[in-house]
Amino acid sequence: MAAATKGYTGPLERVTDYCWRIPKSYKPGMRVDGLIYASESLLELIKADQAPEQVANVAFLPGIQHASLAMPDIHWGYGFCIGGVCATDPAEGGVISPGGVGYDINCGVRLVRSSLTYQEVKPHLTRLVEELFKQVPTGVGRSGKYSFDHRQLRRLMAEGSAWLIERGLAVPGDIEHTEARGRLDGAEPELVSQRALERGKDQCGTLGSGNHFMEVQVVEALFDQAAASAMGLVKDMVCVMIHSGSRGLGYQVCDDALKELRHVPEKYGIALPDRQLACAPVESPEGRRYLGAMRAAANYAWCNRQLLMWQAREVFSTIFNRPWEQLRMNLVYDVAHNIAKFEQHQIGGKTKRVWVHRKGATRAFPPEHPEVPSMYRRIGQPVIIPGDMGRASWVLAGQPGSMQQTFGTACHGAGRVMSRTAAVKHAQGRRIDQELAARGVIARARSWRGLVEEQPDAYKDVDLVVEVVDRAGLARKVARLRPIGVIKG
Amino acid sequence: MYETFEHTADLGLRVRAADLNGLFAEAARGLVSIIVPNLDDVRLVRRMSFALAGSRHDELLFDWLNEVLYVFESQRVVLAEFDVHVGGEGLEAAARGEPLDPARHQLEHEVKAITYHELKVEPLDGGWLAEVIVDI
Repeated sequence: MAAATKGYTGPLERVTDYCWRIPKSYKPGMRVDGLIYASESLLELIKADQAPEQVANVAFLPGIQHASLAMPDIHWGYGFCIGGVCATDPAEGGVISPGGVGYDINCGVRLVRSSLTYQEVKPHLTRLVEELFKQVPTGVGRSGKYSFDHRQLRRLMAEGSAWLIERGLAVPGDIEHTEARGRLDGAEPELVSQRALERGKDQCGTLGSGNHFMEVQVVEALFDQAAASAMGLVKDMVCVMIHSGSRGLGYQVCDDALKELRHVPEKYGIALPDRQLACAPVESPEGRRYLGAMRAAANYAWCNRQLLMWQAREVFSTIFNRPWEQLRMNLVYDVAHNIAKFEQHQIGGKTKRVWVHRKGATRAFPPEHPEVPSMYRRIGQPVIIPGDMGRASWVLAGQPGSMQQTFGTACHGAGRVMSRTAAVKHAQGRRIDQELAARGVIARARSWRGLVEEQPDAYKDVDLVVEVVDRAGLARKVARLRPIGVIKG
Repeated sequence: MYETFEHTADLGLRVRAADLNGLFAEAARGLVSIIVPNLDDVRLVRRMSFALAGSRHDELLFDWLNEVLYVFESQRVVLAEFDVHVGGEGLEAAARGEPLDPARHQLEHEVKAITYHELKVEPLDGGWLAEVIVDI
């Protein structure tokens, strides 16, 4: 059998109740320690696969600062684990690694609130979910209703989601409530290959498949009244959460980069324990080319989530017979959780500008950070954490501990605990949609197997993951949301 | 023959064949079957040919599977039959299939990409074995 069934047996030393160390002495070549944020019970699940080994492998990357970090939702990825964070300093030969961003560049989540309560939506819920499923393209092989030619795509990638304002598909408030205002500077769309453009031309505004979703949720409980109030969240409010990324365009950009970087580590004398960690010095032609294309794909992803939200607004408007503005379907916030960003951090008593790779990890800047939009400056950046489609999702707010410990980062979800094949076996032919309906969740998916693979049992309990992030001081709990409607690929 | 194996968030594809040509053909079928499981219902009405350069078997397999995925992603063509000739400096292949028809083709997974993670192509028991993990 493949290594898939093997667990991690290396060292894990307790630092605090919520932080565990893999010492750099574990493997020759590690430049820093590995640090995994988890409770003792979550750690047992994390050790079941090779994710901790991958945390150790990332510590090999040249220029890595402080530690190779992992969030409590980590699970086995390829090269990097999912839920990993690493910061590299270009001034110390630091590298950029496409694997540290992932294939789905700027995969992320956004949360839209509304003026509707659960009681108002409940009688229309099935029709609402059916209509979302009909109008919002989901699943493999489905094109969107928005098609952009190559020239338009290049503008969209250069300008990000603000470009959609002039096309009547976004309003200024949407941009203000998006991480980086929906645009990374320095995007170089001309570095995005023809293949990537072909894959992306009719996919902007489509959900995709796998773990991507659009959910109708209800605010079930508030944990921080002041922060909830700043975000406009009240108990029983109906919200929409959207999880998607840069679609085929971003996958192709990553793929093109990995191909270009195939033999680049040897060229720069970089020894790596896993080919999927392929990287290039930030200050190299190869590194700069990837960064230009990666930023372009990130901007595409923000446009994708903007167009998905726009379609959700249209459907709500149809079902509830009022314009979305009257339904007050305003964006709370949009966060990226697969991205690399150039940020300023305090490291070892010095102020440094580093490339923070977040691979399945969410930025969680604290109150008063200049990059937190003014309306959230006093409470900290909203951190949106999707859970599974049966239990819950969360809204948190970034805390000062994130800057001190994790380069301003928190978790990104619940994290898988079961492989896709194990989830199918676990289901034993059960009807997941019917089980969800019994729990008050209307679910529609294009693929039966897709729904089974994403069943709630396949994920860790997101409440436990969020608890670690809260206790470790990375982000504090603001609101727990319960799903009532789901559409998937 | 091909089968899928476990990987936490993704899917592994394991392929065995008597020779390299068969291995590459089966790997392509295995990949497409992850997207469209009812491959036997695909009509063989469209023919495409491929030529790829490369001397390392693992990298060549990676590039080959990427080509097959790209044909599906960009042209929406489901390829189901492959005739591959692997040589010392690359491969030549002919493939047959048809444009995607959601009414007849069952769609199960979107494959985001082929990964290098634990990618292997190696001789085994007088034949060949390949393992590749695809990102779902």
